[in-house]
Amino acid sequence: MRYLMTTRATDTAPAPDEKLYAEMGAFIEEMTAKGILLATGGLEPGGIRMTSSGDEITVTDGPFTEAKEAIVGFALVEVRSKEEVIELARRFRKIVGDGVSEIRQVFGP
Amino acid sequence: MTDPHRTIDAVWKLESAKIIAGLTRLVRDVGLAEELAQDALVAAMEQWPAQGVPDNPGAWLMTIAKRRAVDHIRRAQRQERANEHLAHELRRLPEDADEQQTERDDTLRLMFLSCHPVLPAPARAALTLKLLGGLSAAEIARAYLVAEPAIVRRIAEAKQTLAEHHVRFELPDETHMAERLSSVLEVIYLIFNEGYAAASGDDLMRPGLCLEALRLGTTLADLTPDQAEVHGLVALMEIQTSRAVARTGPSGEPVPLHEQNRGRWDQLRIRRGFAAMLRARQAGGAPGPYVLQAAIAVCHAQARTAADTDWPRIASLYQALVRLTPTPVVRLNQAVAVGMAQGPQAGLDLVDALTTDPALQHYHLLPSVHGDLLLRLGRRHEARLEFQRAASLTGNTAERAFLLRRAEQITADEPAGATLGQTVRDFLSRPDLDPQTLRSYAQTLRRLCLGLGEQTPLTSVTADQVTRVATTAWGRTAVKTWNRHLSTIRSFATWAGLDGLAAGLQRRPEPRATTKPDGAAPLDPLWGRSDLPLRERTLWSLLHESAAPVSTVLSLNVEDLDLDDRRARAGRTWVTWRSRTARLLPDLIAGRTSGPLFLSDRRPAPARTPAPADLCPHTGRRRLSYERAEYLFKQATRHLDPAGNGYTLRRLKPRDTPGRYP
Repeated sequence: MRYLMTTRATDTAPAPDEKLYAEMGAFIEEMTAKGILLATGGLEPGGIRMTSSGDEITVTDGPFTEAKEAIVGFALVEVRSKEEVIELARRFRKIVGDGVSEIRQVFGP
Repeated sequence: MTDPHRTIDAVWKLESAKIIAGLTRLVRDVGLAEELAQDALVAAMEQWPAQGVPDNPGAWLMTIAKRRAVDHIRRAQRQERANEHLAHELRRLPEDADEQQTERDDTLRLMFLSCHPVLPAPARAALTLKLLGGLSAAEIARAYLVAEPAIVRRIAEAKQTLAEHHVRFELPDETHMAERLSSVLEVIYLIFNEGYAAASGDDLMRPGLCLEALRLGTTLADLTPDQAEVHGLVALMEIQTSRAVARTGPSGEPVPLHEQNRGRWDQLRIRRGFAAMLRARQAGGAPGPYVLQAAIAVCHAQARTAADTDWPRIASLYQALVRLTPTPVVRLNQAVAVGMAQGPQAGLDLVDALTTDPALQHYHLLPSVHGDLLLRLGRRHEARLEFQRAASLTGNTAERAFLLRRAEQITADEPAGATLGQTVRDFLSRPDLDPQTLRSYAQTLRRLCLGLGEQTPLTSVTADQVTRVATTAWGRTAVKTWNRHLSTIRSFATWAGLDGLAAGLQRRPEPRATTKPDGAAPLDPLWGRSDLPLRERTLWSLLHESAAPVSTVLSLNVEDLDLDDRRARAGRTWVTWRSRTARLLPDLIAGRTSGPLFLSDRRPAPARTPAPADLCPHTGRRRLSYERAEYLFKQATRHLDPAGNGYTLRRLKPRDTPGRYP
């Protein structure tokens, strides 16, 4: 089963330091070597917003006011079970400190 | 929220390889290592639900297991003050700079151990899933559609075999690397294919095997980055996985590659496959079977539409693959590729050469491929019969429906007259046949129908076709069986008024005597083998010299032996021996005064304590079992047996000297 884990920005999140980078690097390396982590990346804070309403499509450049809620990173993982993805997310959260992640199963392609 | 036991299970599956590998290095016994790890798991089950999952659950489990290992070693040391090495290893602190490398090497050692060639293939797969995948016996049983006790037994026997062969926990040296690695790759691909063969309605545990195999392959590729074949296998599995969704239709029927909706192929998996293929190329060397198969898969994945497929390249890759692994299935696939690259007649020529291969006589894809090629040549009626025949050979309902539909879609002028199938049914419904004859007739004629197609018009069946089917199906059976099938075909042919049908088949002379295994096997090379364990040499020698039954010899106790008179009491009779056994026995007894003469290599697990009479009071080991003794003898004589199976222990009994054992 495939899951997408997204991480949201929060005010209280600590600034990343050397230790966090090292631990995160090792974690990503381990998960990649096991074939669990399929893709991961960070996202730019603003981005572009597209809204369609009737025939009209509006394009707006960021940043947006509700930046706190923005997704700042993602990881796509292939796991055996829901419990396994929760365990992986738990390890991830232990490394990054305060904040929120959301986990959703991916269907398809 | 989530069930703590399921959380523990998820943690265990992520960590088991590392934990068991690390423990095996310490205690040098994979069976014991697994028991220690299980103890740690039990501790987790007791503590985590109340205290929560620890920050680093893997390290927590390892610490507990190591503590149990220390206890175990202390107990062992009190008994025999052995193993300085273990004590030293355990005192070592884990922050060694090399620790990470050691951990990696341990995992690799564990893979080589669980895929060791002394184990039969199913045992290797079960043990690998258990030790490296952390799957329970119940999960493995569900995935393989067998009963749980069978898997439990398979794993226990595998561990026992490893112990008895003193298989060491180490990396193979360079001369054995290729052979040992190919054994590991074979196990991983077997696991993958078991999962890939699962139908859509199956228990999810079955397709889950694909994921387990991919993880094992990816882990192995990370540990052995310079091995092209490992990357080749990963590439092959990634690309095959990419088509998992597209290869079955809405009602579970298989969708052939060229008809699959390529938009449903998982591009992420395909790209991972390409990347693995690049690593295989970088590793260099002549392409092996997995790299070649992956290269074929890459060709298909690169084609944007089925029509874009580079068939000439695929055909040439198959040609290279056939040179390395000339199995009938690979040759059939080659025929498909050649049929696409060079036209149907070229493919048909290759398929025709395969129709007499007994290995393919039940394989539905042979008539299916044959039918495809015939259809492209415009031989519509023959094609239709082949699809019908393919349908009758497959066990998969969806596939059968699919093949029958293909047959129906072919509009061919229906030749008049009765079909083979109808004539057979008429023949079998004669009122004058007794049930036993009927059963025997039905068996033969069913095979004939499967080989020729039920819808084939009776008048078009030729003697050559009948000869081909009969020779492929029964050519290698016992003379009696052959003659029985032959009589049935003759009766049927006469009844149907086609006497010539059995013309190509000859009765075979039946030997007068009962067919006992022929004479004494050439076992002489065994007696000079001082490299074989003393126990085996003594047992075989005793069986040979005494001519006593195997179970009698295995039941002997040390206290029954009369070494001076070269005999032992066995119930109400005597077992006697000659000089070779007499020379070996004192070393085997080695000071023991009672208990079973032939002992197993390991002490039984506490849960499986045998009867006191079967337990050695000196060593705590149990009596050697018949099955085990038989297995060891087969292993040791495999190279002497022209059939490659190895001999049974009964072969040791000399046939020309009756009566020494009353």
